[in-house]
Amino acid sequence: RRGLGGAAGPPSTRQLREAEEASPVFQYAGKEAKRKHRVFVWGFSFSGALGVPSFVKPDEAWKKPRRIQPTPYRLETEEKISSAACGYGFTLLASNTRDITKVWGMGLNKDSQLGFQRSRRDQTKAYEYVLEPSPIPLPLEKPQQTRVLQVSCGRAHSLVLTDNEGVFTMGNNSYGQCGRKVVEDEIYSGSHLIHQLKEFDSRVVQVVCGQDHSLFRTKKGTVYACGWGADGQTGLGHYNITSVPTKLHGDIAGVNIIQVSSCGDCCLAVSDEGDVFGWGNSEYLQLASVTETTQVNVPRHLPFKIGKVKEAACGGTGNIVLTEEGNVFVWGYGILGKGPNLIETAVPEMIPPSLFGWSDFSPDTRVAHVRSGLSQFAALTNRGELFVWGKNLRGCLGTGRKEDQYFPWRVTVPGEVVDVACGVDHMVSMVRSF
Amino acid sequence: LPAPAPGGGGAVELVAARVPVLADHPLVRGPRFRKLKIGAGHRLDVKASGVFVLGIGHGNKLLTDLYNCHLTKVYTVGGLFGKATDDFSDTGNLVEKTTFDHITREKLERILAVIQGTNQKALLMYSNIDMKTQEAYELAVKGLIRPMGKSPPIITAVRCLQFALPEFQLEIHCLHETQQYLRKMVHEIGLELRSSAVCTQVRRTRDGVFTVHDALPRTRWNLRGIQEAIRNCQLKVETELEKTL
Repeated sequence: RRGLGGAAGPPSTRQLREAEEASPVFQYAGKEAKRKHRVFVWGFSFSGALGVPSFVKPDEAWKKPRRIQPTPYRLETEEKISSAACGYGFTLLASNTRDITKVWGMGLNKDSQLGFQRSRRDQTKAYEYVLEPSPIPLPLEKPQQTRVLQVSCGRAHSLVLTDNEGVFTMGNNSYGQCGRKVVEDEIYSGSHLIHQLKEFDSRVVQVVCGQDHSLFRTKKGTVYACGWGADGQTGLGHYNITSVPTKLHGDIAGVNIIQVSSCGDCCLAVSDEGDVFGWGNSEYLQLASVTETTQVNVPRHLPFKIGKVKEAACGGTGNIVLTEEGNVFVWGYGILGKGPNLIETAVPEMIPPSLFGWSDFSPDTRVAHVRSGLSQFAALTNRGELFVWGKNLRGCLGTGRKEDQYFPWRVTVPGEVVDVACGVDHMVSMVRSF
Repeated sequence: LPAPAPGGGGAVELVAARVPVLADHPLVRGPRFRKLKIGAGHRLDVKASGVFVLGIGHGNKLLTDLYNCHLTKVYTVGGLFGKATDDFSDTGNLVEKTTFDHITREKLERILAVIQGTNQKALLMYSNIDMKTQEAYELAVKGLIRPMGKSPPIITAVRCLQFALPEFQLEIHCLHETQQYLRKMVHEIGLELRSSAVCTQVRRTRDGVFTVHDALPRTRWNLRGIQEAIRNCQLKVETELEKTL
C-alpha cells in the first residue's frame, strides 16, 4: 500500500518529461568503435580441421562429440587472420603480422602438411591429428621482418607465400608437388622438412594448390607449376611428374596473368585483358569448348563471349567465373547452381543476379568474389553476404540443412563476410563484425 | 395550384402545373442503406495510420480471397535513436537513454541488409516448396516465392528513406506482420547499433493492391465517395485475384 507522501494519480506530462531528462544516459559504443575481425568455421569436424577440440573430444563427460558443424561457428584466434586455406581434412590460417608466429594449422597431419607438431607425450614423435590451431614453425631468415601474404592447401601438401623470402612448401612430395626432388620411400609423417623455393623470374604473388600439384604466379604475369601431371594439370606439355617449378608456355606465353585457380585436376588462369585460359583434366567438359581430349597438358585460351573476366575459380568438376559487370557464369559437371536440371554444360551459363540479392530495391548489389571447393561454390557480394551452392558434403555448405543446394543460398553469418576458403568438406570464412 | 382566372365565362383553360414528386425525397424515403455488413481487412493499430481495407456487403467474400493471396504490405516507419521504452513506441515508459552519435547511415544500411538477408531465407523456408525441384529454382529467380499459408512475420524489403540523427525513416515491405512487430524491429535495430531506438510513426502506405492514392480521406467518407472508390478498385482487385488463384 502506498504511503501518504506520494502523488495521488498517474504522473503528469511535466513530471514525466522531468523524470526523462533527469535519467542517466548510457554509452555502449564510442564514436571510434572499431569493427572486430573474426573467423567462422563449419563442416566436418572429426579430422580436427575446424580447430575446435571440444567437437572431437568433449570437455565434459556427458557432452557428445559433434561430427558435423552445420552452421557457422566462431573460432577464437590470437591474431587477425588475413588469409586462410582449406585442404583435404586440414586448414591453414595465416596472419600478416611481424610476430614470430605467423601461420597456424589444424586438422590432418599424417604427411606433415602442417609441419612438425611436437607431441607432448613423446618429444620425438609428432601429432597425426591437430585439433586446435597450432603454430607452424617456418625456417625464416628474418622472422621479425618477413610477412606471410597467402597460404594454400592441396590434398596432402601446403604452400606458404612470404613477401621477401619466397615460398615455403611442406607435406607430401611423392609427386614433386612440394617443388623438391622425389625421394623414394620417403616417410612424410613426422618430417621436419620444410622446403624453400626462391628461383622464379620475379617475386611470387600468388600460390595455388591443386589436388597433387602446385601453381605459382609471379609479378611479371608468368605461371610456374610442379607436381603430378598425369591429367596435364602442370601444363608443361607432358604427362609426367615435375619436381622443380617450371614455367608454363602454350597460349599463356607472353600474357600477363593476374589470377590462377585450381582445386582438383583442372586449372584456370585469368589475364589482365579478361581472357580465360585452362589446362588439365577435362573429363567433365571443363575445356570441351576448345578440344575433345579429356586431358589437356598445354594452356589453351577459352574463347567465351561473356565479357571481360575479373576472377575465376576452378572446382573439382565445375568452373565458375566472375565478369567485370558482376555476372557469374558456371560450366562443367555437377550441381552448377541453375536448378536440378542443369547437370552439365560445356559453355558458360549465367546465374541470374536476382539469386544473389539483386532486386529493384537494391540495384547495386553485385557479386564481388567467387570461390569454389571440390563440389561446392561460394560467392561473396559487395554487401558482405555469402551465397553457397553445390553438394552438401558433411555439412560443408553451412546452411544448417543436410540436403544439397541447387541454387545460391544465403549463409547466415553474424557479420560482413570478407573472404571465404572452401575445402572438400569444410569451409572457413573471415568476417568483420558490424 | 393557380387560381382560375377571374372573369369566368367562356371555356375553362387547362394549364399544366408541375409539382415535385416527393416519393423519392430522402426525408420521405428514408436513408438508402439502413444496415450494412462491413468487414475489415488486415488489422491496423490504434497508434498506426494509413490504408485500411474494408469490404461492404458482398465484398466481404472478396476479403477472404484477398487474404489468401498473401500480398505484401508497405509501411513507412519513423524511428528515434537514444531512447528505449517498454512498448517500443515514444509514448511508453522510459527504460533507458543511450548515446547515438556513433551511428552513421552506412552502419544502419548494413544492419538493414542483414535483416533483409535473414528474412529472405525465412521467405524461402516457409513457402513449403521443395528446394530440389526445377520450378523452385525458376520461382526463386523471378522472386515469386512467398509463403502461401500461415507464417511468422517476414520482411521482404527494407530501405532507409531519411536519416537525420536522431531521427530516421524506413520503408518496409512485409507479410503477415503486426504493427507492434515493426515497432519491436525498430527497437532491435537500435540494439544492433549499440544504442536504442523507439518507433515514432507507423503508416501503412500500401495493402496489396490498395495504395494511399485509392484511399478515402476523412472528408470523402460519404456514400458518393465510397461508391466511386469501389468502382475504381474493382478492376484491380479482379485482375489480382485471377492472377493468384
